[in-house]
Amino acid sequence: MKKCKYEEMIDGYLLNKLPARDKELFEEHYFSCPSCFRKLQDQHLIIGTIKNHPEALMREEARNLVPVMTRLKRELSAFFSLRQLVMGGITALVLLAVIIAVVPRREMNAPSFTLTDTDTVRGSSITLISPVIDMNQIPSFLEWKKLGDNVEYQVSISNDEVLWKLNTKENLVTLPDEVKAKMVPGEKYSWQVKAFGPDGSLIAVSSRVQFKVSTR
Amino acid sequence: MEEDIEELVVRYRPIITFRVRKSIGAQNTDCDDLVSEILSQVMEEIKNGDFRGESSLGTFVYTITSRRIIDYIREKSRVIKYAPEPEPFPDPQEILELREASEKVQEALEKLKPKYQHVLYLYYYQELSREEVAGKMGISPRKVSELVNYALKLLRKEIKS
Repeated sequence: MKKCKYEEMIDGYLLNKLPARDKELFEEHYFSCPSCFRKLQDQHLIIGTIKNHPEALMREEARNLVPVMTRLKRELSAFFSLRQLVMGGITALVLLAVIIAVVPRREMNAPSFTLTDTDTVRGSSITLISPVIDMNQIPSFLEWKKLGDNVEYQVSISNDEVLWKLNTKENLVTLPDEVKAKMVPGEKYSWQVKAFGPDGSLIAVSSRVQFKVSTR
Repeated sequence: MEEDIEELVVRYRPIITFRVRKSIGAQNTDCDDLVSEILSQVMEEIKNGDFRGESSLGTFVYTITSRRIIDYIREKSRVIKYAPEPEPFPDPQEILELREASEKVQEALEKLKPKYQHVLYLYYYQELSREEVAGKMGISPRKVSELVNYALKLLRKEIKS
């Protein structure tokens, strides 16, 4: 089918890019050319859809971003003129440059901390298994969850002061009789485990769990 | 004669409506009245023998339409220069049809290959010239035209299906 020479004008007409004379010529033409008018209607619908839904022409990830950006742009332009936005942008850039240039860079000291028996740390932790509740009798052993190989644990029992402390590579220790003998029914005790890596650095600390031996 | 007039109305109403909306705005509440007035005037002039076949019927209708639109714009700016604009009340049926058609186009646009989507985005959304689109895509302006035309062909096919 032969293409009508006026078809070339459809885009220009719809996008208001045609000179006045061509616009009139094309308008007069489509009153007499059903083929051009049909294409004009189709293209009007297509261009209108593209203008209102540009996200349809983008990949999935960009598509979701466009309505947000369009809304933001619309809201910004409702409050500020283009000139104000440009001036605001330039001012922000100048301020940023001043801050970077003027504010002296201070060397920050590496943070240091020491851990005492009453301190707790956040981060890796050790889960204590037993005892974690009040006991009917003085416990015979202390057990916690193993962290891995090549880990040394330091387990301690405290009352008002450290009652007993032991270093071990196991995750279960039997309480020596002399320690048991020091423990009095009705008193509150607490215990805690700290884990050390092969180089002796502290890698994890359990919470301090309290238990009471009932007076039966 | 009555059949001729009915045919004339069926043929020219959409064309006149398109032209009127393009000139005075699709949301203008006077659109439908103006289209009806133009159609009445066309029929009246044909009945009176004012159309003598010196030009095509299309040109005759176009001339009446253009003249009536100019008159409307003049009247409007003179009579209600300072009056508030009436609220638009578009035809719900027409809005529904337009929305459905637009959804169909959206689906078709999403199905296009990325190169066609890109060219349509630059050409129609950003309204860049063919040369500017060519520069951005690293192709010739002729190739831009080919891509746009082929994309439109695909879209028209989808719309009609």
